[in-house]
Amino acid sequence: MGERLRAVLPSVFSVLLALAVCWVFIALTRDAETATGAYLQMLRGGLGDWPQYFEGGRLAVLTRPLGEAAIKAALLLLTGLSVTVAFKVGLFNIGAQGQMLVGALAAAVAGAQLQLPAVLHIPVAVLAACVAGGLWALIAAALKLSRGVHEVISTIMLNWVAVSLVDNWLSVGPLRAGAGTHLSTTGTAEIAASAQLPRLLGEMSRLHLGFPLALAVALAIWVWLSRLRSGFETRAVGLGAEAARAAGIPVVRRTAQAMGLAGALAGMAGAVLVLGTEYRYPGGLGAPYGFDGIAISLIGGNHPLGVALSALFFGALRAGGTRMQLLGVHKSYPELIQGLALLFVAGRMVWLSLLRPRKVAPMAPTRQPEASPEVPRA
Amino acid sequence: MISLRHIHKRFGAVTALDDVSLDIGTGEILALVGENGAGKSTLMNVLYGLYQADSGEVLVKGQPVRLRSPRDAIAQGIGMVHQHFMLVPTLTVAENVVLGREPSRWGRMDMDRACQEVAATCERFGFKLDPRARVDTLSVGSQQKVEIVKALHRGAQVLILDEPTAVLTPQESDDLFRVARGLAAGGRTVVFISHKLREVLSVAERVAVMRRGRLVAEVRAANTRPEELAALMVGESRVPQAEAQAYHPPGGEKLLEAKDLRARGEDGRPALQGVSLEVHAGEIVGIAGVDGNGQRELAEVLTGLRTLDGGGGTLLGAPLTGLTPAEARRRGVGHVPEDRLWRAVVKAMTVEENVALGRQTQAPFARGLQVDFAGRRERTAALLKAYDVRPPDPEVPLQALSGGNQQKVVVARELDAGPKLLVVVQPTRGLDIGAVAQVQAKLREARDKGAGVVLVSLDLEEVLALADRVYVFFEGRITGTFTRPEFDEREIGRRMLGTRGEVAHG
Amino acid sequence: MLEIIEALLSSTLEYFPSLLFAALGATLCERSGVVNVGVEGMMRAGAFCAAVAAITFPTPVGVLMGMAAGAGMAAIHGYLCIRWRSDQVVSGMAINLVALAGGTYLLESLYGPNGTPPIHQLTRWHLPGLSEVPLLRAFSGHSALTWIALVLPFVFHGLLYRTPLGLRLRAVGEKPHAVATLGLSVTGLRWLAVLGSGMLAGLGGATLSTAVLDRFEQHTPAGLGFMALAAMVFGRWTPLGAFLAALFFATGNALRIGLASSAPGLLEVVPQGFLLALPYVLTLAVLAFQGQRTHAPAALGTPYEQESR
Repeated sequence: MGERLRAVLPSVFSVLLALAVCWVFIALTRDAETATGAYLQMLRGGLGDWPQYFEGGRLAVLTRPLGEAAIKAALLLLTGLSVTVAFKVGLFNIGAQGQMLVGALAAAVAGAQLQLPAVLHIPVAVLAACVAGGLWALIAAALKLSRGVHEVISTIMLNWVAVSLVDNWLSVGPLRAGAGTHLSTTGTAEIAASAQLPRLLGEMSRLHLGFPLALAVALAIWVWLSRLRSGFETRAVGLGAEAARAAGIPVVRRTAQAMGLAGALAGMAGAVLVLGTEYRYPGGLGAPYGFDGIAISLIGGNHPLGVALSALFFGALRAGGTRMQLLGVHKSYPELIQGLALLFVAGRMVWLSLLRPRKVAPMAPTRQPEASPEVPRA
Repeated sequence: MISLRHIHKRFGAVTALDDVSLDIGTGEILALVGENGAGKSTLMNVLYGLYQADSGEVLVKGQPVRLRSPRDAIAQGIGMVHQHFMLVPTLTVAENVVLGREPSRWGRMDMDRACQEVAATCERFGFKLDPRARVDTLSVGSQQKVEIVKALHRGAQVLILDEPTAVLTPQESDDLFRVARGLAAGGRTVVFISHKLREVLSVAERVAVMRRGRLVAEVRAANTRPEELAALMVGESRVPQAEAQAYHPPGGEKLLEAKDLRARGEDGRPALQGVSLEVHAGEIVGIAGVDGNGQRELAEVLTGLRTLDGGGGTLLGAPLTGLTPAEARRRGVGHVPEDRLWRAVVKAMTVEENVALGRQTQAPFARGLQVDFAGRRERTAALLKAYDVRPPDPEVPLQALSGGNQQKVVVARELDAGPKLLVVVQPTRGLDIGAVAQVQAKLREARDKGAGVVLVSLDLEEVLALADRVYVFFEGRITGTFTRPEFDEREIGRRMLGTRGEVAHG
Repeated sequence: MLEIIEALLSSTLEYFPSLLFAALGATLCERSGVVNVGVEGMMRAGAFCAAVAAITFPTPVGVLMGMAAGAGMAAIHGYLCIRWRSDQVVSGMAINLVALAGGTYLLESLYGPNGTPPIHQLTRWHLPGLSEVPLLRAFSGHSALTWIALVLPFVFHGLLYRTPLGLRLRAVGEKPHAVATLGLSVTGLRWLAVLGSGMLAGLGGATLSTAVLDRFEQHTPAGLGFMALAAMVFGRWTPLGAFLAALFFATGNALRIGLASSAPGLLEVVPQGFLLALPYVLTLAVLAFQGQRTHAPAALGTPYEQESR
């Protein structure tokens, strides 16, 4: 148990530290009152306006913000899982952004161009997004496996290829709504009603099927990694590729599968964005969700359930960000908290060493076994 | 010249050096011997300023000095050649040698002068090296010379050589000894770190023996014998002699029949150039040879880790060509590779997960598509007990175990699979005496149970102690075949250097 | 025709310096063995601080402040990666995220969403003789930074390949332990490279807000830092390679802008998106063609531990 706690603690601490630092930051640029007020607004925006509810407000004052938080959390969770799965096989997927983008486009096209009943249309559109994202990620996997190209570089490049091709060609050119006419719209045609992810609470909230879908996926990934043979093999490849090869594990196949899955997850995030809230491919994704995924994954300790927790937390913060604007704090402020939390996770050695009781005289760089967030256990 | 006084050094909980005092005289060749982990390298790294001693002092010419970094050591005239060369492979010889004390003019590096200086140093000490050659184009022996020149160029009066012959051919070793004697004759001091006792006695004048972080003896080379040194190193009055064993004539089923195997090494050069050999059930076949003569590649071919360029044969009833690691395991090939942490185990995984590795799809490690946690736990616990692995906890990460215990886990895992053919490479390297005996006993046990064992070892003593038959490798070819009754150590040694005898096989 | 080339050249020289500075910075950092995917964030910090400082101080002072800001971000990277041996890619990405969100917050809370107030751009040098000559005219009317950008790659080439410091930097990126056993400081050399890299990235960002534009805009540098990484890889981790790659990418960009304004019909045939994707696709193609291991420094991304065996 102590071990489990030790694996979680650095992340929790990093987040708390980031919250504190960011509070101080507002307090310094504005004043302490604004800082506290903004944080309270952020909580109300993300977790529901409980005071108003208790004063006799409608249920919607709770469900609406919670629904927004869930929508954000679903996107963060899927991109976070994308990064996590790639990590498990030993790859750093910086390319979730590009994979999500092609996935979103595929979902938008499938959603708008096909005529199917909803039972089929939604799965087909989501699948299209997964396939598109997966294939996009497989380019990086192929370069890695056949040419030894480092995936960090190749996925960064692929992000920008995706942005250039989709945002500056497809969605403004051939796939633009009313292409060929002189209508000046942005984005692709609106998807059919049958492809829209159903709202779960009707008018009370924008909460849609994407959220339970993302949670289910997280659970499935957790089961796969911890309980199934192929998950075990994947982790073995990530932690020791040559030993895995010598053990007869198909390293190339497992790597490609995991990277493909990572791309599919990011693609699914794109589908959830398009089918759940945007209903079309907008001019662009609007936010660097793929990069968020890196933060979410690392803060979540690269553990599917940890990632889910971190996605829920930051989903709530991000949803609450809009309400911070009431006090003149930009709505992207939670992103700063998230970025700082990642920085603190990256630098956990710094403050962990400060916390450690100084029993032994501080020795010059000792071997710190990389506090692997992955604590494999039955 | 140099006195080390009461040096203590700890790494975390491990005491690496425990009150070590040693005097090193001018113009002498001193050998520092001891088992792996005895503290030889640590002591010399303290002298070279790479490690800081926790307490104790170092005196140079009677004056106490502080050695906080190699810079200080170099300034005191101390030079060190590490076991793993500290050369930048993409730079030239001259650049490597002058690095850190580059001749320059107005901030610009004077490459011509650097080359002249290096050439002068080489000439002065009798080395033949091209200052403008890139280091990665040089042979291992030449790279070592670059290392020595590097130290001498900095005015080293004391030269520390850490396991210098581990990577050299015998000829290159002789060459190195000649250099060492020359340097000593010229008034310099040479400190050899080694565990090869014969070699030590042939070159050194004085031998210091370390055991478990302590200096246990200093003897004159002329007054001692290898057996005596070995006893001092191990700390027992009697060294466990490789038990004399009966000859097991090859009579069992033919497990492997390889013909004309050809394969390339990691660097793309031909490593196996037509090797034919056979292995029968119930025998240990030793592969002897100096490092880098194709033995490693043979083991990789037999385990499916390296593809053949040519040749073929039969391995456990099916063709050898196109073998994959998974297929090799399916046929019943077990593998104890040389580099444990790289190829045998995943150090960040738990012991039980490592035990499952290789059989992760079979009972009792899997049930259908799922991992069988209970079966895995049970089997692992039983193995840890049977092989006396400490701690016997299946749940700890493998990296928490000592090297010897890690190796026991690997051997236990491979033997537990019931291999028909077991390929082991350097199975006892880096282990303490107790673990060595245990691992060797397990190999014999496997043989006695009817497995065929291919034993690749750079340690000829180990090969001779274990093998029933020996193939001698030189430059990717077999230069000799011996069977136990007619083992001739000197003749085997000769064949290891490439003197081709009649090739005694079909 | 001549005028078109002239316009193209002039446009290239406008865009090129900031890309080059960042690419040189990335090259310097990675040659010492430290991965720097945080270039984008360092550029953003540089661009912001330069624009803010230039509101009250003379613009050149703003540029210096931008360099200092870039170095400040790099110092975080160095502290985490060199002192604490954190994962270099994670640290770099964290710096990007912090710079992205932090820049937005500061911009909006201090000035509003559209950017900082306009500042005096850096003086453009109109060279009397040159302004008359056709074609070469394109070299006139740029800030001093353009000229620095044309010279700096050669300075860095000299530094890296002709000086003792350069030899040490290259060695530390290939085999840090070899450098350490000669009594040189691995961490010192890496710190030097990382801070230098941050200054260059900051300079690249400052170039955007003081020479290309006259303010800090919401999205600056809009992915230019990542293109700088592409230029570094495309240029095989060498200063002159980065120079050519940056020049090449800048020309492509100028071509795209030029086509968009002068021949919109052509863009129907060759969509803009293709041209935008070109640098990245080319970089991927180069990598796919020759593999990466052949040119990247051997110790890239590996934290250095002295007492490791």
